[in-house]
Amino acid sequence: MNWVRYTLPAAAILSAASPAYAVRYLSIEEAQKEAFPSATHFSEVQASRVWKAEAGGKVVGFFVFDRVVGKHLFIDYAVALTPAGAVHKVEILEYRESYGGDIRSPSWLAQFVGKTAGSALKINGDIRNIAGATLSSTHVTEGVKRILAAYGNRLR
Amino acid sequence: MAIVSDSIRRARPLLGTFVEIEIAGAPRSEMDGAIDTAFDAVAQVHRLMSFHEPDSDVGRLNSEAGTRPVSVHAWTFRVLETAVELHRRSGGCFDITIAPALQAIGLLPALKDKSAPALRSPDAIELLPDREVRFRSTDVMIDLGGLAKGFAVDRAVAVLRDLGIPCGMVNAGGDLRAFGAQTRTVHIRDPRHPSRSVCSIEVTDEALASTARRVDLVDGDESGSSAVIDPATQRPVSLIDGATVRARSCMVADALTKVVMISGTDAGELLESYKAGALLISADGNVQITSDWHHAVHLAA
Repeated sequence: MNWVRYTLPAAAILSAASPAYAVRYLSIEEAQKEAFPSATHFSEVQASRVWKAEAGGKVVGFFVFDRVVGKHLFIDYAVALTPAGAVHKVEILEYRESYGGDIRSPSWLAQFVGKTAGSALKINGDIRNIAGATLSSTHVTEGVKRILAAYGNRLR
Repeated sequence: MAIVSDSIRRARPLLGTFVEIEIAGAPRSEMDGAIDTAFDAVAQVHRLMSFHEPDSDVGRLNSEAGTRPVSVHAWTFRVLETAVELHRRSGGCFDITIAPALQAIGLLPALKDKSAPALRSPDAIELLPDREVRFRSTDVMIDLGGLAKGFAVDRAVAVLRDLGIPCGMVNAGGDLRAFGAQTRTVHIRDPRHPSRSVCSIEVTDEALASTARRVDLVDGDESGSSAVIDPATQRPVSLIDGATVRARSCMVADALTKVVMISGTDAGELLESYKAGALLISADGNVQITSDWHHAVHLAA
């Protein structure tokens, strides 16, 4: 196999655009329907955060909306719980990529750094244990654990 | 007559990253169900092949296969077959038994009962009939992180195709595969400047996997260290800053990125034998592309 070599002009590298990356996958309502297709009614247990899904008067599960910091920006996600309080589904609703964002908004980033000074050490300790894992997925995983701790036994 | 809707795109945290599935060309209700089934397949690969779960196939192999044959799931067996074949054909470059080296630099957790040095051997892993696997010694430990993610993408694509979805794309943190007639453009990040794009690549009905020296590690890490280990030195590679491989299967593309990171342009013959193409970004800033592939790669201008 032959290889073709290209030398990137320095100017081209410097001027390359950094497209901001944000994806909205599902709205809260769409995610609710997706998680519990049989549900006929969703009632708020906790305003804008926890919903109870019911089908014909019977509880089919709970839906918890949450938000964690990815690398720098928030990730909106939802955890669907079974009536017994186990995870039924974890779904990403909105993902905002940080690269580019942190360059354009240094003040936002600085604010984040200040707020989570305590958790930085934890990331330093934990994240290296997972080859190839991103900060974002680790944070969502921690968020799910937190939701389970907070709601796993309390709802039902 | 069902109404065919636009594409839908969903994401879930799996395999230590975000797995994104985008599909189109079928009625909405069918697509929702198909995406769920595809995510289930990815979740099952995660459960079977996680290094971190003691009761995954990989966890059981690492704790027991050194002393007696262990029976594994058909998917795990298939991944191991590919890994063993790649190990042989790459002259030992691709090696799933380098887990101890990853542990030594903190990229994999140390297991309580194992701290043995890496034992390198061409027949460290014995594949027996009836999907049984035996390791040559209790010192052998495997990590499928080099190709399981690609395999999971392949499984998800297979599920979607079986369910009659005509086109789509599955992306697991940089290991992606597109199926169907649609051509997609994928931007490759500059490993030295992650906010910049080095090139865009047109992808049609094939897999694309990328890997790079880790540029986004949190403070305190060895600067520019890599999760790709050269089996010959047991140390992270430093020759190449980033590699992208195109292949028919995402598992093969995923695995070949490691070989390219380690052997650079010397990987040409192996790539050719797998009908794969590659793009590598050298530490000096040069980009090299296999001659069969450069028509689909557009450098940033």
